[in-house]
Parts: sequence; structure tokens; C-alpha cells
Amino acid sequence: MPVRFWHWLRGRRAVPTLLELQRAMRASLVDRDDGAAAAMLAENVPPDRLNIYRNTFVTGVTKALRLSYPAVYRLVGADFFEGAAGLFIARHPPRSAYLDEYGTDFPAFLRDFQPAASLVYLADVARLEWAVNRAIHAADGEPLDLTRLSALPSEDQIRICFVPHPSISLVRTDYPADVIWRGVLSGDDAALAAVDLEAGPVRLLVERRTTGVEVSRLDDAAWRFATMLCEGHPLAAVFIAATDTGNDALLTEYLAAGRFIDFRLAPAEFSVHTTPPEAVS
Amino acid sequence: MSPAAMKSPSPIPAKAGIGLRFQHHQAVADVAPDVAWMEVHTENYMGGGTPLRYLDAIRCEYPISLHGVGLSLGSAEGLDPAHLERIRRVAERIEPALMSEHIAWSVTDGTYLADLLPLPMTEESLSVVCRHVDQVQNHMKRRILVENPSTYLRFCHSTIPEWEFMTAVAERTGCGILCDVNNIYVSAHNHGWDASTYLAALPPAAIGEIHLAGHSVRPLDDGSTLRIDDHGSRVIAEVWALYREALGRFGPIPTLIEWDTDVPPLDVLLGEADHAGALLALAEGEARGANVA
Repeated sequence: MPVRFWHWLRGRRAVPTLLELQRAMRASLVDRDDGAAAAMLAENVPPDRLNIYRNTFVTGVTKALRLSYPAVYRLVGADFFEGAAGLFIARHPPRSAYLDEYGTDFPAFLRDFQPAASLVYLADVARLEWAVNRAIHAADGEPLDLTRLSALPSEDQIRICFVPHPSISLVRTDYPADVIWRGVLSGDDAALAAVDLEAGPVRLLVERRTTGVEVSRLDDAAWRFATMLCEGHPLAAVFIAATDTGNDALLTEYLAAGRFIDFRLAPAEFSVHTTPPEAVS
Repeated sequence: MSPAAMKSPSPIPAKAGIGLRFQHHQAVADVAPDVAWMEVHTENYMGGGTPLRYLDAIRCEYPISLHGVGLSLGSAEGLDPAHLERIRRVAERIEPALMSEHIAWSVTDGTYLADLLPLPMTEESLSVVCRHVDQVQNHMKRRILVENPSTYLRFCHSTIPEWEFMTAVAERTGCGILCDVNNIYVSAHNHGWDASTYLAALPPAAIGEIHLAGHSVRPLDDGSTLRIDDHGSRVIAEVWALYREALGRFGPIPTLIEWDTDVPPLDVLLGEADHAGALLALAEGEARGANVA
């Protein structure tokens, strides 16, 4: 559209409200539609000045994604990443100024992103990276004071529903995302060469310890047990569903590691048909 | 709420400070540099973990200013209450000596546009910004400072000179002004304003902090240049000169060196702060001399 047209249009327009102006700028920055915003610029301001703001928006948000998905970035390379990020940002622009929380939909976007289809494990690595990102930025939480548990009457202990530390995620991936993630970030080509994509699903516990974020593998039973605990199911239900031996030890380990920060009690009627687990204190 | 009912004003001294970035957390913890105070971006400390642990330790040694970059005081649709509350929680933990935000907007239709976007300088914008500054000061139970923007475009329906807009916000809400001298220089160049006129129009009593930073120069097709406020280099001589002019008008004011892109080693930042500190000491002497006379 010729610039002269916009100058003409400016003269025709009523003064835009602030909301109209902000929506016009959003259309320019996110949807690359400059028309309305260009018509609001002062006469001697060239419309290409809008590019400066659009570039700041796209590069700033792309950088936030790159910081959250460093292994994905290395797996696909800078150009591919920027291209994918640009499409993702247009479709899922940030909702809040707290950019550490931005990018939760990126793994699903990559899963359906045809140009990346040959990297079958890419979305799995992205899901792991999102869990790692969450662990890095999660709020602090004091470990549950175990004397609060031992103070409970034993008949109430089966009604305990734990609140996990906010840094904890349990992730199941079809491919060995943990080995790929570590190999890529440490540049360990030997480890990457040894990856067996046919080895079957892996189950991962992601958490922030005082030394940093840790990603550890769990076997199927431990993963199901941990998942139920972290989803806040009452202990009785967890022990009924997870019949494997070793769960007591696992629960003790989780409590000792400070993986829970609080608990609540399920309603009393819950306990009627259940058997109390071992004392947890 | 009247400013008198809010928390006492800044204990940050009228000396030079540095913008603390993640790259310098460890260096600051290791060497405890000789600098009067530090400022951080509030949005970088909204989670837990390592950044907050560093800041918890550093705040015991230095007065801290919380500088917000995402509240979007100029949003027509109102402030994001969740973001306001996140800021309050950071402030509760860090107990900053100062809190500041920008005369800009970055959120519309639930989308965060990740930049400090220019407002049209209109009565409507002024009333929106003042309403939001009131809201923030009530929520935080303290006075805040608002920073003048650097901009690359202007809108055809703007009716208020930016310096009058800044002054009006301070007068109507009781907030202070964070005078970014580099931003004044950048915007004056980009829009053909006179930087000294801008400075002279600001109310000295409202100035609570000064920012200094580097910027880049982008050549345009028509042979002119656009100055871009990228905080990626040293403060240029012309901005130091304008800073001296500001100190002459406002007296010694807490002054911050910002550096956000291509962040240099801590020593470089401290060198810039030393330079600002020397000019502040001169201004201090001149202010004392004037009082004696």
C-alpha cells in the first residue's frame, strides 16, 4: 500500500482511542498487518519504524524460547529454530510479562510441525526441557516438616494427600529424551551415537535440588507410585493402586528428599473401605 | 493515597549504582564490589531457585532497587492483577529501597508484546497512566518512580509534549520520576526535540533516580540516523554532558548504569559507575558550595 494512501487515510480518520491504537500495534507486531498502525503515525514518521518494534518483539520472545529449549535449539540449528519460533510466536504469543513461564505449548507445536517430522524424538526432548525449565524457575518451597505427619493419629494417615514441591514434574517419553538431552547439551557425540530409539519409553522425575536441576529415570512401578503421590491422591488410594513391594521405602525416600512441601487430609469417609498403610513417620 | 501516607522515601544514596544482571551474580558474590547500590529487573526474580538465592545474599550487602519492565502502565484495558501481585511478592521478599516502572505499554488483548511500546501523548493516555500509577502505589503501599521512554515513532494525534506528560503524571499521582538521560538523548535525536529543553521542563523535586546507558546508531536510507536504546555499550560523551546538565538542575541524584546486551565484564560496568560517581561528587560539592554561599 503506498505511503501516500496512509497519509490520506490519516486525514480522514477520527482520533483513535488508546485501545484502538494498541490493537493496531498488536496487529502490526504479531500479525504483521501494519495498515491500521501506519495510519496513526505522525506525518514525518515512516511506517517502516514499526519494524523496529516488531523485531524487538520477535527476537525477544525467540530468545526466551531459546533459553527454555537449549537442546531443541542445538538439535535443529539456529535458522530452523528461529523459523519455527516465529510461527509459534504468531500462533501463541506470550500472555504475560513473566516470560519464564512462556513456551508451555512449544512441545505440542513441534510434535505437529511437519518440517521437523524426521526428528521423531524432538517433541519428547522439548517436553523434558519444559519440565527442566519449570524446575529452574519454580517457586521455592520448604520441605514438609515430618513431625506434622507423626503428630497425626494413625487412622488419619491414610487420608494424607501430599503437595509436591513446585519444581517436580513426572515425564513419560516414547524416546530416550534424557540421554539425547544430556548428550546434546554436553556435546557428547559418543552418547548420542549410542542412543537406541527403539529402546522403548522412559519415565523421568525432574526436580530442582540445592545443587541444580536433576533428571532421573524411574522404573514403571516407581513412576506410577510417584505420579499418584504427586497428583495428590490420598495415601490409601496410592497404596491400593500401587501394589508393588518397595513403596514404603520409596515414600520414605520422597519424604526425606523434601519432595513434598505440605499435605491435606482427604474427607474422612474416604477411609471406610481402605487399609491403612505402614506408619509414615 | 497521598505520598505522605506511603512508605518513607528512598534510602538509596545519591551515588552511583549498577544494574545487576545474571552474568554478574557470581562475580558480585565473590568480590563484593565497591558500588553504592544495585538495581534488578523485577521480572527476573519472580520464580525461586538460584537467581533469588543470589539476590537474597546481595540485598544484605547493598540497597536494592526493583525496576519493572512488564507491568504496562499504559494498557488501555487495565493492569494485569496477576502480574501486579507477582511484583508485590518480589517486593515483599526483597524489601527494595526503590521501585520503578515505565511510561509505556506492552500488553493488549491479553498479549504481552515484550517491549516498552510508545504511548500516544494524549489526555486519555495520561488519565490511564495516572489511574494505574495510583493503583500500583496503593497495591504496593509505597511511592514508585516512573521512567521516561526512548521511542522511535510518534503518533499523529499526540497533543502533549512528553516532558509535560511526565510532569503531569508526577503531579497528579505523587509518584517520582526516574529520569533516563540516555532516553532523553535518544528520543530528542529521533524526534528532533531539544534535550536541554526536555530536562529543564522536568520538576527537580520529583526526580528520584537517573539512568545512564549506551545506545547504538542506525543509519537510515535517507542519510539520517536513528538512535536505538539497546543498552549494549558505554555511555557516550554527549550523554555524559547531558547528565552533568541534569545534575546541575536536579542536584546529586542516585544514578544507575544499565547494560543489557553484550554484557561486559563487571569491571567495565564498575568503571562506568565510577565515572558517574565522580560527576556526582562534583555535583555534591557544587550543591554544598551553593548552600554555603
